[in-house]
Amino acid sequence: MSLTKRIDDLSSRRGVRNGWFGFITIFFLSFIILPTVYVLIYGLADFQNLSDAVLGEPEVMSMIWGAVFTSFSLALLVTIIDLVIGLPMAWIMVRKDFRGKRLLDTLIDMPLAFPTAALGFSIGIFWGLPVDAPVPPGALGIVAEPYILIMLLHIIFTYPYMVRSLSAILEQIDQSYEEAGMTLGASRLTAARTITLPLFRAGLITGFILCFARSLSETGGTFIALITVGKADVFFTGPTLIAWLKQPDVGVADVEAVLAVVSIILIITAIVFLLIIKYVLGRVSVPFDKVWPRWERVLSRGTFPKAKDLLSFVFLFTIVIIPSFFIFAYLLVPAPGDMDWSGLVDALSYSFMVAGIVTAADIVLGVPLALYIARHRDKKLAQVVDSLVNVPLIVPTTALGFSLALFWTTQDLVTNLTVLVIFAHIAFTYPLVVRNVAGAVMEVDPSYEEAARTLGAKPFGTFRTVLLPIIRASVLAGAILAFTRSLGETGATVAVSAEANTMPVYIVNLINSGDFYLASIAAMVLIIVSFIFMLALRYLVRRDGGGY
Amino acid sequence: MTVVEMQDLRKRYGKTVAADGMSLRVEDGEYMCILGPTGAGKTTALRMAAGLLDPDRGKVLFDGTDVTRVEPEYREAAMLSQVYSLFPHMDVNGNVMYGPRIKKWHPRESEDVAHNMLEMVHLHRRKDAMPNELSGGMQQRTALARALASGSKVLLLDEPLRALDARLRIELRREIRSLVKAMGITAIHVTHDQEEAMVIADRVAVLRKGRVEQVGTPREVFDNPLTPFVANFVGQSNFFIGKVVSSGEETVVENERGVTVRARPSPHPIGSEVAVAVKVGNTTLKLDEGFFLGRVERVLYEGVTIHVDVMAEGQRCSAKLPNRKFEEYSPGDEVTVGWPPSEAIVFALPPGGLQEELRLD
Repeated sequence: MSLTKRIDDLSSRRGVRNGWFGFITIFFLSFIILPTVYVLIYGLADFQNLSDAVLGEPEVMSMIWGAVFTSFSLALLVTIIDLVIGLPMAWIMVRKDFRGKRLLDTLIDMPLAFPTAALGFSIGIFWGLPVDAPVPPGALGIVAEPYILIMLLHIIFTYPYMVRSLSAILEQIDQSYEEAGMTLGASRLTAARTITLPLFRAGLITGFILCFARSLSETGGTFIALITVGKADVFFTGPTLIAWLKQPDVGVADVEAVLAVVSIILIITAIVFLLIIKYVLGRVSVPFDKVWPRWERVLSRGTFPKAKDLLSFVFLFTIVIIPSFFIFAYLLVPAPGDMDWSGLVDALSYSFMVAGIVTAADIVLGVPLALYIARHRDKKLAQVVDSLVNVPLIVPTTALGFSLALFWTTQDLVTNLTVLVIFAHIAFTYPLVVRNVAGAVMEVDPSYEEAARTLGAKPFGTFRTVLLPIIRASVLAGAILAFTRSLGETGATVAVSAEANTMPVYIVNLINSGDFYLASIAAMVLIIVSFIFMLALRYLVRRDGGGY
Repeated sequence: MTVVEMQDLRKRYGKTVAADGMSLRVEDGEYMCILGPTGAGKTTALRMAAGLLDPDRGKVLFDGTDVTRVEPEYREAAMLSQVYSLFPHMDVNGNVMYGPRIKKWHPRESEDVAHNMLEMVHLHRRKDAMPNELSGGMQQRTALARALASGSKVLLLDEPLRALDARLRIELRREIRSLVKAMGITAIHVTHDQEEAMVIADRVAVLRKGRVEQVGTPREVFDNPLTPFVANFVGQSNFFIGKVVSSGEETVVENERGVTVRARPSPHPIGSEVAVAVKVGNTTLKLDEGFFLGRVERVLYEGVTIHVDVMAEGQRCSAKLPNRKFEEYSPGDEVTVGWPPSEAIVFALPPGGLQEELRLD
């Protein structure tokens, strides 16, 4: 009897099915959720110690609160800028047809393919003033203020989320509404503002939350940009504070306790703040009813719309595209003599191994959970799991990494560094796979599976022969997302241990030691690898969309 | 090949009761139609028979064996849904071969079965087509071939013709019936279309609010409905409410304004409140012959028949007449409403009132 046959037969038993889903749910709760928020429990249990070591130290506390405040103000500012400049771009992408639109589409997604570590480096050398290191020709070196530098960096990798979320909704809003408004006498701007924008709220909320959460939790790129301009020890966001504290010899007493406090504050504030945003955005209403026909008519005609479109493009290129690609200018710089490539090869293969194992685990353990969520939506437990899946996406990865390492090492459950890094990477990539696959399964009419069952297929056989082939592209897409995220992740890795030799950590160390040239090569390798994966992803998604 | 029995099935979703003591026995090789309005629990019944839904209480028996907790794949009852559910990643042949393949039949035998089935539904020339390249009718034929090729002993059809246009519907229902009959399998077919049920079924089960209201041959449920609901749902009826004044070879019923009508003999005692039901097709509109006067409200030309609405005795009644009578009626005309007493059935007035009884939801 073959293995699949045996699994098929087993899957026909209700008890086995319930047991399997129970196992997956327990895995999810105990390997993903609990370690992610374990530091909260730890904080409660060890409150006395923490308050003695940290809470009573005004200097340390003001550093922590300063960093957290910086994170939130940055996230808010970045999100608002994204919104203002993302909206016209989303409009162009959905409502206009022109040559090169496909290319523009790819360009907008580009920053998503760039590992933030590489991005941070590129931005640092383009805008900032690197210390004592040769920079390629063309570097502007005009931004001395780290806050502005980090803002520019965060805009780059959050901008695509905003444009994507807005255009996804815009695509669903039929243009005929606006046209109807215009035949009733509204100018183009009035029609768009009073008719389409109010229908937009869902996209606004998604875009807002994605951008905000991403900016709030980003570590790697931010940290690397700060190191590049030599400001990592004076300017902190919440996550980079953790990354910095994890570096050797930072000269802070009771580092572990400080780390715990920072992580606790970050996790709680991130979750609370996002809940608030969700609540507030769901209720505010912009005064759409007021109209200023005269002014809006003027703004709808002549040069204004063109100027608006032009500005969108200028912004895309000067703020997003050129700084991102600037790292490739290092190819123009002559290579310094004898170079040691072995470190790069080691780091790359280590990263690939971690990402590979992480992705495999995500698929094997994530697809069943996605099935459970998508096919048992009427069950309370499935709904709870469904919302819990988002937690690791919201929690800043450094806080997640620290909390997770704390969880596994307190009882000496896991001491192997590589295993810890893999666990941490699974925690923040697992939701990507689950979200993707669950979304795809929800799109599939359950009647396919039911038909197969009544034709004699067992549950696992039904999954293998009917459901999986239909959602295959989404599973692969989830796998690629998980792989690239793992490959480019700095924060979680550093928070587990600054000695784990992944590519991004390797780049951090190179920049720290002033070896910008090799760092740039490593970053380019990382970009190219990720980019290839992103192209594959786009191909799969497009093919899937055109299919059934 | 299989006798399907449902015994006192109950199922509720929150506050909605989908099955409320549903019992039905479908004989071996019988073509049974479950007929009912939307929300009567038709699909629930079918899904419980298929094993896709667990009843809260009650039993499902196949050939006398309790299969209530048996998984769908062991029941040999193939389901045909209104959305066809052809697997989008397999071609027509792949879809039809699915059952044999999953049951690991000998490849030669599987191919023969699939080939025969495709021939029977006239799709052997399109066997390499993908489902999205087929028309709705072809998709439904493929789904039928797939269900029949799986060797199932019971065929469960959930509004299989709903998404098709009228002509194709008529053609396909004939085909489905003859195929099912040729293979001798037991079929349960769910529909809300009474005409479809009448022509396709050996017997019809009329479902209402999660219960079986009446089971019988199409002729039985049409001519001898057991309740006012069935009388009205299977071929529209006119109703006359009054009290029994005499009974014998004919029942005479009089309303409060003194108008009397005659109907079939009935067991209802003199003085009891009753509703007399007459099919619109048996209602006559003449100048001087009948039971009471009415005024024509509108006349619709329907092709073979005409439909006349008449306001009489404070309520609307309708008649279906041959189309050659179209010229004889126009709005405002006074007519006399009548019927052959042998076609009028007397029901006890339902406790909740007649309107409540006739409601479709």
